[in-house]
Order: sequence, then C-alpha cells, then structure tokens
Amino acid sequence: MSRFSPSHWFSSVQKQSFAISFSAFMALLLTIALGCLLLIIVSRGATYFWPATIFKGEFRLSDESAPVKAYMQIRNEFSRSGSEVIWFKYSNRDFPYGNQAMLEATQISGLQAADDGALITLTDGRTVLAEPLSLQSAEREERALEDYSLMQEEVQRITNQIEVIRTERLSDIHQQLSELDMRNVAADAPARIRLSRDFNKWQGLISELEIQRNQYRLTVAFADGERFDLALGDIDEIVRSGRLSYWQKWQATLTAIGRFLTEAPKQANTAGGVFPALFGTVLMVFVMTLIVTPFGVMAAVYLSEYAPNNALTSVIRISVSNMAGVPSIVYGVFGLGFFVYAVGGNIDTLFFSHKLPAPTMGTPGLFWASLTMAILTLPVVIVATEEGLRRVPEGLKAGSYALGATKAETVMRTILPIASPGIMTGVILAIARAAGEVAPLMLVGAVKFAPNLPIDGEFPYLHLDRQFMHLGVLIYDGAFHSQTDVKGSSMMFATCLLLLLVVFILNLLAVVMRMRLRKKYQQG
Amino acid sequence: MLKLFEHEHLDVKRLSDEETAIEVRNLSLQFSDKPVLNDISMRIPKHRITALIGQSGCGKSTLISCFNRMNDLISGCRYQGEIILGGRDINHKKENVSRLRTQVGMVFQRPNPFPLSIYENVCYGLRLQGVNGRRQLDDTVEQALVDAALWDEVKDRLFESAQVLSGGQQQRLVIARALALKPDILLLDEPTSALDPLTTLYIEELMAGLKKRCSIIIVTHNMQQAARVSDYTAFLHQGRLIEYSDSDSLFTMPHKKQTEDYITGRYG
Repeated sequence: MSRFSPSHWFSSVQKQSFAISFSAFMALLLTIALGCLLLIIVSRGATYFWPATIFKGEFRLSDESAPVKAYMQIRNEFSRSGSEVIWFKYSNRDFPYGNQAMLEATQISGLQAADDGALITLTDGRTVLAEPLSLQSAEREERALEDYSLMQEEVQRITNQIEVIRTERLSDIHQQLSELDMRNVAADAPARIRLSRDFNKWQGLISELEIQRNQYRLTVAFADGERFDLALGDIDEIVRSGRLSYWQKWQATLTAIGRFLTEAPKQANTAGGVFPALFGTVLMVFVMTLIVTPFGVMAAVYLSEYAPNNALTSVIRISVSNMAGVPSIVYGVFGLGFFVYAVGGNIDTLFFSHKLPAPTMGTPGLFWASLTMAILTLPVVIVATEEGLRRVPEGLKAGSYALGATKAETVMRTILPIASPGIMTGVILAIARAAGEVAPLMLVGAVKFAPNLPIDGEFPYLHLDRQFMHLGVLIYDGAFHSQTDVKGSSMMFATCLLLLLVVFILNLLAVVMRMRLRKKYQQG
Repeated sequence: MLKLFEHEHLDVKRLSDEETAIEVRNLSLQFSDKPVLNDISMRIPKHRITALIGQSGCGKSTLISCFNRMNDLISGCRYQGEIILGGRDINHKKENVSRLRTQVGMVFQRPNPFPLSIYENVCYGLRLQGVNGRRQLDDTVEQALVDAALWDEVKDRLFESAQVLSGGQQQRLVIARALALKPDILLLDEPTSALDPLTTLYIEELMAGLKKRCSIIIVTHNMQQAARVSDYTAFLHQGRLIEYSDSDSLFTMPHKKQTEDYITGRYG
C-alpha cells in the first residue's frame, strides 16, 4: 500500500530533477508565449502592407436576400462551432467603397482568385474593389488603361495649377481683405470691392480647373458587370495584386511601409500612415527624458550622498518605491488636475490673460504630457541611479576628497561619471515605460487626431503647448474600430508592431550609450 | 641598497633637533563614543619619514587620517586637542579642509586611480584648483610622474586608461597624483600591503627619494619595512602612544615592555 502514498512516488533525486524540469518547462512556456505574441503582432502587422489576393465570389447575406456577386479580400478565416467562417471585405454597387461580412464558407460559392480585380485606393483613404475598364480624357474620348500614368500626370498638372493659385493669389487677397476688415474704414470700400472681384475671378478659375480635372475619369466594373465611375484626381493608387509577381509584391510592400511611416492617417485613423503619431511618441519620450533625467539623478544623489540617515529619509525612500506602484491612470488624473488645470490655469491668468477665456497653457498639451510621464517614471530613474551610486567604490571617493575636492566636486567629477551606466539603466527603463503608456496620456495631451505637428517652421518651432498624436492612442483607437472595420484592425496590428520597434530602437540607443559609458568608466 | 641605508643612519638623529612639520597636542578621538585615540602628543619632523606601527585597531590609520581631516567623512566621529601644522590648528572649525588636503597628500592601502586617463588622474587635483592651462598641466604632470618614478613607463601612453596599469604602477600613479599638488606632507596608509615584494621595494626606494620634497608619515604592518625606510617610528597600542623615537633605537633597544613584545612578535 505504501508504494502508492505520494511521499514514495519520487526519490529525492527524482524530486530535484522534477523541480529542474518544471522550471525548464515554465521557461519554455514563457518563451513560447512571448514568441506567439510576437508572431501574432508581426504576422498581422505585416499583412497590412502585403498586397492581399483579390477573389471573386457569390454569396447571400441572408437567406431571403438576392445573391451578391463581388470582388472580395479575405480578412480572416476561422472555424466556429464546427463550420468554417470567412470574414471578408467586398465592393459592389450598393457598397462601392467597401463593406464587410462574416459568412460560413458554405454560403459563398464560386470563390476564386481574380487577377482582373484591383484594389483602388482613393486619396481620402477609402478603397474600391473592382475591375478597371477604361479611362476618359477631358475631351470625353475613351482611352486605354495603358495611358493611366500619362493621364494621371495631366491631372497632376491641373492640381498643381490650382495649388499655385491658392497659395500665391488667394491667400494674398485673403490676407489683404482681413487687414481691411480689421481697420474697418469706409474709405476702403473701393479697394474691398476690387479685392473681392479678384478673389471671385481666381475662385472661378479654380472651379473651372476642378471641373476640367473631374473630366478625367476611370470606369470600373464590379463583379456583376455593373459600371462605376471614379475621378482620376481622387485616385491614389491602383494595385492589381493578382498580376503582380512575387518581387513586385515585395516592392509594393516596401512602398506601403514607407508611406505608412511618412503619411498622415486618413478615414478617422483606419487608413493612411501614422507619421504624426510616430513623431509625437518619439518627441514626447525625448522631452520626458530631458525632464526626468536631471530630476531623478539629483534626487538620487541627494538621497544617497547628502541625506542624513534618519526617519525622514526612510519615509522619502519608501514613498519613492511606492510611487512606482501607483496605477498610471492616477498619474494622468494628477497631471490633468495639477499641471493642466492648476499650474497651466494660473500661468494663463498671469501671463496670457488677454487671450482668456481661450486657454493657452491651461489645456492638455505635449509639455504637460511629458511632465506627467516624467513624474510617472521618476521612481524608476531614482532607484536605478541610487543602485549605480552605491556601486561607486568608497576608495575612489576617498581619493577624490584626499586631493582637496569638496563634496560637490567629488559628486560631479567622480561619483556621477562612474554611476553613469546605472543612470542610463534607469533612463532605459523610463523610456520603455513611457513609450508604452496610453491611459494617462489621453488625459494630458495625446489625441486621436491633431491637425499640426508639435514642430514646424513657425516661431518658436517647438510647440510644447500643442496636443499631439501618439502610437499607443492610435492602437487604442484602432482596437475599437477593429470590431467594425477590417482595415482599421490590420492597421492596429501594424501600429502595434511599429510601437514595439520604436521602444526597441529607443532602448537600443540607450543600451549602446550605456555600453560606451561602461567601457569608458570601467573598474579594475 | 644596504649601504645607502647605513649611510643615512650615520647622521645621528635626535627628535629634539629636528624641525617640526606637525605638532600633535593632547589629541583624543572617538567614533560614536568609542574612544579610538587617547591623549596623543607628538612632534612629526620635517623632511623625514615617520612610521606608525602597532596592532590592527590600535588607531594608527585613524591618527594619520587626522592630519588631513579625512575622519570628518565618518559620521559620529568627534575629536579634541590640537594639531599644529604651518602655525595653525587644523582641528579648528574654521580650517579650510579642501586647502588642507592639497597641502597634506594621502595615499591609501589599495591603489585607487580614477577611471580616467593617466594624464587626467594626475591633473585631477590641479583642475580642482582651477588650473587649466595646457602648458602648466603638461609640465606639472611630467614633473609629478618623474618624481613618482613612473614617467619612463607611461610617457608614451599618457592618455590611455589608468586601469590598464599594474598594481605597483597604479600605486605610483596615485603618489604622483598627490605630488602634483606639491604637498608639504605625504601620508601613506599601508601603501604596499596590497603589492608584491619587488614592487614594495620599488615604492620604498621612491619614498627615500621623496623625503627631500616633503615630510612623509607612513602607517605599516611590516616591521622590516618600518625599520628599513623610516627615520623615526612611533608605536601605538590601544589608542595610546607608547613609544616614539628614532627607528634605530626603537627597533634595537626599545624602552617599553609593550614595544619589545610587539616588535619581537609576541603579540600582534
């Protein structure tokens, strides 16, 4: 009977080897979990850029409705309660700019890759799945599809003309008119009339050019043969993925990645690029680093070199450790209540009272966001710096003092340089934490859409009071869209991948700097 | 080598004939109420090597640290009595400790070069003084390294890290670092205990040469070393100065029983 009691199941050696294999198993499990996470993000994110195959098929949205024939792109395939379900996007007469559906595979018939179908992306981010048939020139004559780039050039020339009129003529007149409005003198009436006439003349020319531009059109056909007309000026690009070779697909992917990184979002952050968010994220992290590093280092130097060893110091140390555990949204609320409303509001009443009630600093913005994140990451920097300071050998400090250095000189010339790798460790952790935070940022300055970048050519060039876009907020936004929109969901994964890369690159930079510092101030 | 020392020992030394570098008057010191030094009075002669010997914990390192007030860095350290150096009491609370430490250089048991280049190590004290002229720095660095008998070994790699030097070279670099400030007094706190015998010999020779430049006070556990290099030797026991005389007499015919017990190795 005793053979079956648990204590006899394993000998002590077996127990030990069991513990080892259990640890190995857990480590493996964690690695697999991390691998799966990366795999999902990388594969889903990367498919956003890869030209997806276009299919042609017929389906019924419900049992009563008529069958629909359409070009489609498959978003996802999975099985639900035993039957295969296809989640796809399609275009037809009812939904020229695309709709999505989730149907069982049996409800779709005649599904086959269609190399005549094209994904036509419009400049505003919307897409059409259809077969391009023919082109129409301004003289209303039919032209072959081969002339597409030629005609697109003509359209571009008209667009440029319009742009020149807008920037060189209209804005000038507009400015003069508003100056006259400011003066509001009756004697200006003739000038005003002359300017208005000029304005109308140029405006009329623009309308004419726009009409002319709209005469260049592309005719497409949906899968059921129904024709549809698109203005060439609205078309951003046409990709016939079925006719692309493997290498051309790679080329298209790289172009798509490039545009993703350099263009602004369209269609409420479900299409287009993420440049403003990328820029905002990096700038916010940068400003935060500039704020948190000196403050964190000064606090750590005080705590470890100057503070007397008493109860107050212990309380401060415990508070710093506890600050690291405070939920980040609390920092967001603190930033909103203290920085934005209290500090910013008071700055407004003191310095910008002429602009009130419109707030200048008393509104969420890049600086308040960076400051909030700096407070959030302060404990990380303090703890890591203190760790670095503790590693400075006592002998070196004594050597510095023995040469007549004061405490401040010893800190500046010996202790801080030697502790600099530790400080960099803190900065790395702070960057990693700050780049990934979303919740507090949404309260203090990050928005879904910001019309301007925080840096531009206008004085003072760096606008710390502006609201900014952030990759994390974009992901958050995309995650909500993902329930209803196909494209938004892939964009979310792509943005996620980009955020990971940004954090990775920022960390890599800091790690390289730390390695160089370590080499420089290496001990023994 | 032996001849050199014999020759030096020929000029008969009496403490009372020497000029005074430091005079210690009734110095007592406590670490958080634990007495470490007890009513010590002694005169340290100028341009001589004075050795402090005694068991571990007898207070010799603490005494040497009083001369440049390094004990100030230890919390809970209190001291009474006077230390007269250059006509003033350096224990006075108005003493400029930073300036004092440029006059009284110190070398520690373990070589502690800064993680900087050899050149910058020697410059450290000068830069603190605000000396930044390239020419002046170059000259002082060369002179200090020559004085510390290190110049020939490092002159081609002044801007390399000091960490690549051997232990003995590092210790001489630390001596050069102190010499760059042209101190009146050089304190050596067991400067060779972390070094091998040959390097130790090298440093001892160096000390004999440096004597012309400054007064040297050395703490050592090694009685042969004390006998070899020092002109005067003080024996401390449990925070008291037991015996203090020229090294020849102290090592050959000690007056006190405790001294004899210690130098013959009966304890300690």
